[in-house]
Amino acid sequence: MSETLRRPAFWALAGGTALLLALPFYLDAFWLQTGLFAISAAIGAIGLNLLTGATGQLSMGHAFFLAVGAYGYVYLASDDGAHVSGLGVPTPLAFVGAVVLAGVAGGLFSPIAGRLRGTYLGIASLALIFVGQHLLMNVEGVTGGFNGRDVPPLELFGLRFDDSPDLVVFNIPLGALERLWFLAVALLIPAAWIARGIVRGRPGRAMNTIRDHEVAASVMGVPVARYRAGVFVLSSMYAGAAGALLALVFRRTVPEYFGMFLSLDYLAMIVIGGLGTAAGAIAGAVFVSVLPQLLTRFGGELPLVSAPGTGGVSPAEAARILYGAAVVAVVLFLPGGLVGLWTRLRLRITARRRPPAPLTRLDNKEQPA
Amino acid sequence: MRDELIVSGLTVRFAGLTALDDVGFTVAPGSVHAVIGPNGAGKSTCFNVLSGVYRATEGSVTFGGTELTTLAPHRIAALGIARTFQNIALSRHLSVEDNLMLGRHRLTKAGFLSAGLRLPRARREDARHRARVRDIAEFVGVGDHLAAPVGMLPYGVQKRIELARGLAMEPRLLLLDEPVAGMNGTERQRMADVIVRARADLGISILLVEHDMGMVMRLADEVTVLDFGKRIAGGPPADVQRDPAVLRAYLGAAHEPTAGTATATEEEERERA
Ligand SMILES: Nc1ncnc2c1ncn2[C@@H]1O[C@H](COP(=O)(O)OP(=O)(O)O)[C@@H](O)[C@H]1O
Ligand SMILES: [Mg+2]
Repeated sequence: MSETLRRPAFWALAGGTALLLALPFYLDAFWLQTGLFAISAAIGAIGLNLLTGATGQLSMGHAFFLAVGAYGYVYLASDDGAHVSGLGVPTPLAFVGAVVLAGVAGGLFSPIAGRLRGTYLGIASLALIFVGQHLLMNVEGVTGGFNGRDVPPLELFGLRFDDSPDLVVFNIPLGALERLWFLAVALLIPAAWIARGIVRGRPGRAMNTIRDHEVAASVMGVPVARYRAGVFVLSSMYAGAAGALLALVFRRTVPEYFGMFLSLDYLAMIVIGGLGTAAGAIAGAVFVSVLPQLLTRFGGELPLVSAPGTGGVSPAEAARILYGAAVVAVVLFLPGGLVGLWTRLRLRITARRRPPAPLTRLDNKEQPA
Repeated sequence: MRDELIVSGLTVRFAGLTALDDVGFTVAPGSVHAVIGPNGAGKSTCFNVLSGVYRATEGSVTFGGTELTTLAPHRIAALGIARTFQNIALSRHLSVEDNLMLGRHRLTKAGFLSAGLRLPRARREDARHRARVRDIAEFVGVGDHLAAPVGMLPYGVQKRIELARGLAMEPRLLLLDEPVAGMNGTERQRMADVIVRARADLGISILLVEHDMGMVMRLADEVTVLDFGKRIAGGPPADVQRDPAVLRAYLGAAHEPTAGTATATEEEERERA
């Protein structure tokens, strides 16, 4: 235990968690919502990073599984209405059910996901987007069609995650966003912790080797197709959780949100943040979610950026251009992304602190022949 | 017989090219069997069939009575057949230890759930197998590099890591595809020592592809010679070295200097001096 307490990583984690939990007492609604997008995106990006970063399997279908999570929650949690149906399941169960549904959807696609490698899967998974859009628009009884559906608020142990006015902590009334914030943090931490355990454990080594050298992985005893399929299901479940959380934050689900651009956003997140790790996914998710909001808030002071519909570049477009450039910059100059940059800085600092090792005579057997 | 590898009538054709043509040989349990032949003779293709990477067009391969030609690579690995690659096939970004731990894949169980939740049995398993992998790393002489990413290590060390990863599978049969290719004399010597000790200590069978005749003479109990996909000779190394068909095949392969029997003997003399 004392060993743990001395590790800087432990303190960084503890400090980070404390900061995360304190934030809702200080942030206004705008930034709370931005933060909630970022946290939801982080969960989804962790899943995509398991698949694409750690296993080398490109997926363009992540938005589809986000949609399954979002709509799955709404369908399970809602009561039957005039135009749309629902199952009226207790909301926490509906949340879990949404994650399972996304996993099942991933499982249905996994015969393909297990067989196709890398970019080929990327192309095949593009089909999911189109199938998804078609279903969201046309299965109106479930999805509400073009106009989407309202999202019933979560209710956990008698606490409703909405603006009902009976929760005050430290003299600060906690509304829907504050409450959801704590829920989101409580989901993000285990999501990241589990992914980290997987990546650093036996499955992670198998996944990394499938990415680096598929043939080597298989002759070392890794059932490659089964692993690819398994990781695909797992990443779908992460996307499902992210989608359900996003639905709770939005309070309304609409089909156009779950299009190809959303999949591209998630790919941008993991490339910018750093491929293959949970930390990279989180860093990238924060970057990609916060940038457009920063431009919305402060865009008026920037040249070229203007409100939508007034002729200039809208903040959302400007953000896309900026992180498109960020992706290119990372690919060219920052292999390992933001997290890789951090690792390199840390190595440089510790290298400076440590005195140089004395030079010893080469061992006889190490002498060049 | 248990652990006996029997290759018979093995033929592999790629579009228009016959890489292996009716090849047969037997690897006795606990022996070192060398497959030699000029470049392009079909040695690596043979390894790829044995490990399930390529499909045989015709013929059969059995190990301890089990037919291998219909099995997927991971099923063959599960029988205790390990291999190294002529061109290094390690994960460059992973540490040496993690690369070796991959060799333990077939001997361990932790899945997504137990690794993700760090269940006690996953942690115990991990600790136990890491200890063994460290021993193997010491045995092969890469124990000083355990934490280093493989990609940062010199070629000779990476070749030894390939061997260590194979040994980490605790194989009953180990296939080594040109384990000393591109190494200098001292490195070759050390690698040969490791192979001799691995066989003596672990009692495994070894199938070895090698160009260096000096090395083949010293290590192998049996030699099979391939040329253009055909088996042209076989038997104890001393006999094979005198076989006129073998001399012809090698003299024909002038682009492969270390392959010639003449140069190999020269090298042996240099080593003795
Ligand atoms: N996957 C493949 N597709 C087509 N031809 C191949 C393939 N693998 C090997 N060959 C051919 O088979 C022949 C034998 O190659 P190989 O087994 O690598 O020889 P060796 O290892 O003895 O040098 C060569 O002519 C090579 O070009
Ligand atoms: Mg070869």
